Amino acid sequence: MISLAGRDILHSWGKFVLTGVGLGLLIGVTLTMAGVYRGMVDDARMLLNNSRADLWVVQQDTQGPYAEASGIRDDVVRTILGMPGVARAANVTYLTMQVRSEATDVRAMVVGFETGQPGLPGAPGYLVAGRYITRSHYEAVADVKTGFALGERVRIRRHDYTVVGLTRRMVSSGGDPMVFIPLKDAQEAQFLKDNDAILNDRARTAANPSLNRPGVPGLLEAIQASQASNHNVNAVLVQLQPGFEAEAVAEPIRRWKHLAAFTRVQMEEILVAKLIATSAKQIAMFLVILAIVSAAIVAFIIYTMTLGKIREIAVLKLIGTRNRTIAGMILQQALGLGLIGFIVGKVAATFWAPIFPKYVLLEPADAARGLLAVMVICALASTLAIRAALKVDPAAAIGG
Amino acid sequence: MVEPGIRIEGLSKRYGEGSAAVDALKDVNMVVAPGEVVGLIGPSGSGKSTLLKCLGAVIEPTAGRMVLGGETIYDNGWKIPDLRALRRDRIGFVFQAPYLIPFLDVTDNVALLPMLAGRPNAEARARALELLNALDVGHRALAQPSELSGGEQQRVSIARALANRPPVILADEPTAPLDSERALAVVRILNQMAVQHQTAIIVVTHDEKIIPTFKRIYHIRDGRTVEEAGQGLSVQ
Amino acid sequence: MNKPSRLKLSAPVLRRWGLGLLLALLVAALVFVVMRSGPLAPIRVTVQRAESTAVSPALFGIGTVEARRAYMIGPTTAGRVLRVVVDVGDRVKAGQLLAEMDPLDIDERAAALDASIARAGSAALAVQAQLEDALAKKELAAINARRYRDLAEQNFISTGALEAKLQEQTSADAGVSGANANLAAAREDMKRLAAERAGLQQQRDNVRLMSPADGVVISRDAEPGSTVVAGQAVLKLIEPATLWVKVRFDQGRSAGLAEGLRADIMLRSNPALPQAGQVARLEVVSDSVTEERIAQISFDRLPVGLSLGELAEVTVSLPATAPGLVVSNASVKRRGDKAGVWLANGSDVRFAPLRLGQTGLDGSVQVLDGLQAGDPVVVFSEKELTADSRIKIVDALTDTVASQKP
Repeated sequence: MISLAGRDILHSWGKFVLTGVGLGLLIGVTLTMAGVYRGMVDDARMLLNNSRADLWVVQQDTQGPYAEASGIRDDVVRTILGMPGVARAANVTYLTMQVRSEATDVRAMVVGFETGQPGLPGAPGYLVAGRYITRSHYEAVADVKTGFALGERVRIRRHDYTVVGLTRRMVSSGGDPMVFIPLKDAQEAQFLKDNDAILNDRARTAANPSLNRPGVPGLLEAIQASQASNHNVNAVLVQLQPGFEAEAVAEPIRRWKHLAAFTRVQMEEILVAKLIATSAKQIAMFLVILAIVSAAIVAFIIYTMTLGKIREIAVLKLIGTRNRTIAGMILQQALGLGLIGFIVGKVAATFWAPIFPKYVLLEPADAARGLLAVMVICALASTLAIRAALKVDPAAAIGG
Repeated sequence: MVEPGIRIEGLSKRYGEGSAAVDALKDVNMVVAPGEVVGLIGPSGSGKSTLLKCLGAVIEPTAGRMVLGGETIYDNGWKIPDLRALRRDRIGFVFQAPYLIPFLDVTDNVALLPMLAGRPNAEARARALELLNALDVGHRALAQPSELSGGEQQRVSIARALANRPPVILADEPTAPLDSERALAVVRILNQMAVQHQTAIIVVTHDEKIIPTFKRIYHIRDGRTVEEAGQGLSVQ
Repeated sequence: MNKPSRLKLSAPVLRRWGLGLLLALLVAALVFVVMRSGPLAPIRVTVQRAESTAVSPALFGIGTVEARRAYMIGPTTAGRVLRVVVDVGDRVKAGQLLAEMDPLDIDERAAALDASIARAGSAALAVQAQLEDALAKKELAAINARRYRDLAEQNFISTGALEAKLQEQTSADAGVSGANANLAAAREDMKRLAAERAGLQQQRDNVRLMSPADGVVISRDAEPGSTVVAGQAVLKLIEPATLWVKVRFDQGRSAGLAEGLRADIMLRSNPALPQAGQVARLEVVSDSVTEERIAQISFDRLPVGLSLGELAEVTVSLPATAPGLVVSNASVKRRGDKAGVWLANGSDVRFAPLRLGQTGLDGSVQVLDGLQAGDPVVVFSEKELTADSRIKIVDALTDTVASQKP
């Protein structure tokens, strides 16, 4: 037995391939949308992975430091270091801001981390070029997504930093690339404003008679100096000693230190469930719409192709072809179209995914699910044409 | 006694009910022996097509008896469970137009029916090639139907009708689009095949060019048939 | 079973092969895409052989230019500023008058004291005259007493007359003592007044603010007519020759910091021209809040146009290490408690814990233990490596390398 569907495809291959390509692009878009969602979730996971922390300690009653603003004193890290189960703890600050270089102006998340010892949480875990920061000030490690090159000088707030290392896939949960600078510089960047604002603040303090007392020399200078320093950080990242449970170490921190402490699992839930939730719903809606559109297109194409063969179908039925052979031919064509479309879509999605500004993660499991969905949709879409084919009266072949 | 060929007794077909009923066939009787080519002639609307459709087991008659290739297929009710298999294996159809499947090549068009009947592909193709050669279109065995001339296509369709060696062939205006030389060629082929394969062939036609070639003719008018001797002009 | 004699390769056969090829290409593209990118693909890394070189460790800190000696010139008592003689930027010599406070009533009180001193002098003179008078009386009494004693021995006078003269002598002696005492008192009084006068003079002197040393005036904080309290500065002075840089170093990265080490100073005002200097003093007290050690770096040669409070970046060079195995700090990773590097092993990786020594500012780290020369050390990787990662060694991971600055 020959494959009627195969012969028909071979015969009008141009039409088939063109339709397959068109359908494939649609499927490619669908896969890419799923990839965008996966990319967002992966961005969130990357953010948590790259900080290499087991616990995040933040301001009480906040869900920071990524989902919400959080501020704690920078000496809290010392008390946390003393708690049981804590192997390493480090201060870290996050601030999303514009970073300027000569050529471009990039929106980045500036991360302040402790550069004293290697391997503390918050520091970038691996580089793709350059080296780690060795000086205590004015050096930066940037993600390649910023477009900065090694040796380039970039401006963050009031100072210029030299890019000494490059990382990959170090992004915030919103997809902004990260720029790592020493903690003290980041604290100053987060806090100190531009010169005009500083002068304004100084003038206000000097105009305040309770602060500017003539009888107490040095008081005004001391107050202004204290106003110009920042001792806050956004979070303390903790690495646990082996054998300790994250929740077991987090609980005493919450209870006795009046801070909030989140384990990795809780942070993932905050980021994925709360931060990404709206986008996820939007993408899910898109996927549903795209699936419906794809089904409609396949149904239409197959139906049209079948209608174009009505006479042949009548003849086939008359000369004794089984209904199920004919139905099978139509179904095979629909599945073949779906397969071609899927392959074109998957290849197209893989090639255009890196061009997207946000990270698009195409998982093989998604592709497999996509293939299954495409096959099912094609099979269902072919039922319209199959019904039409089965309704054909073989007697129509005998005219008159 | 069950004999091969076609025998129809008292076949009737009524469309509709009550006062609006139309009797397309009224008590038709017909006999065609194996190897015989018989003409069925009548004006349009006379019931030719209806009779063909009943014979082709495509529509169900209202009453009567049909015996095909020695098998009673209808006796006031279908006696055969699988009409499609019947059409595939026992009846060959030749239409007004060749109606070849455009996406199959010539050989596969002919080999399709045997393959549907379960024959292995090689055997079916060999059979097809044999028939095509016999009909003088063997040299076009691998061509697409669209590349053939009208006459060649018609011959291929005849080969298709013969592919499963059916005992009966129903030809519906097979020469309508052809000129007289080609039309006579078709008749000649039909006669040859009929004798060669002992097939009973009914040719529905109103083509004046070929009517003289029939030895026996059935006239049909208003649903009734009348047998008549034909001129039986030989075609060489 | 006759096949047609001429079996030409007709269009459908060609077409069939053509489409089959196309499909095969498509599937191949799919497989390529799945293997190359996505989670199944091997992680690309770059590898560097461990080499033996010396590391030039250095310490880096930022600081501000400050003066070693700074003077706050002001009054010791509350007062009003009378005049300020110098202005910001003036060079002054030791002992030079800088400003003057309002002396208020000091001059009047001095005049009063002068008058008191004169009066005391007169009183002393009067007492002196008394003394002389008493002395004269004493002499006379003594002479008389002697004469009468002689006479008494010759019984020319009565005993009563002798006793009377003796008593006169005693009185006269007493008178002399009294006069002496008065004289002493008058002298003491004069001393007291002189001392008070000297004290007032000192106060008067204090009203004049003098420069304690050669220097430059850096700020003028009170104008004539303003009231200042004790301890408040009217002027601030520094010795410009003593400008140095107060630098802060991260405690964690300050190993090896010692006095006398050479340093390079890059001033914010002129970053292209580093100044040479050395560590002049290492502060004993560190900043425990910011976790920094503080050192004072002096200039070999003071640059022109240096300003106080100017930011500087200082690099202190430590002695170079002995040549030994060195890796880039980009390859140093931490697994659990141990620091080490990943070694490439075909298409697998293996973590090698190391003992690390000094770090240079260019990112090279000295390896004390745990590595052999020529070991393939993974430097850059596309993703975080784990023990069961599969790797693929490439030359470079990025092509955006503007200029390699250490």
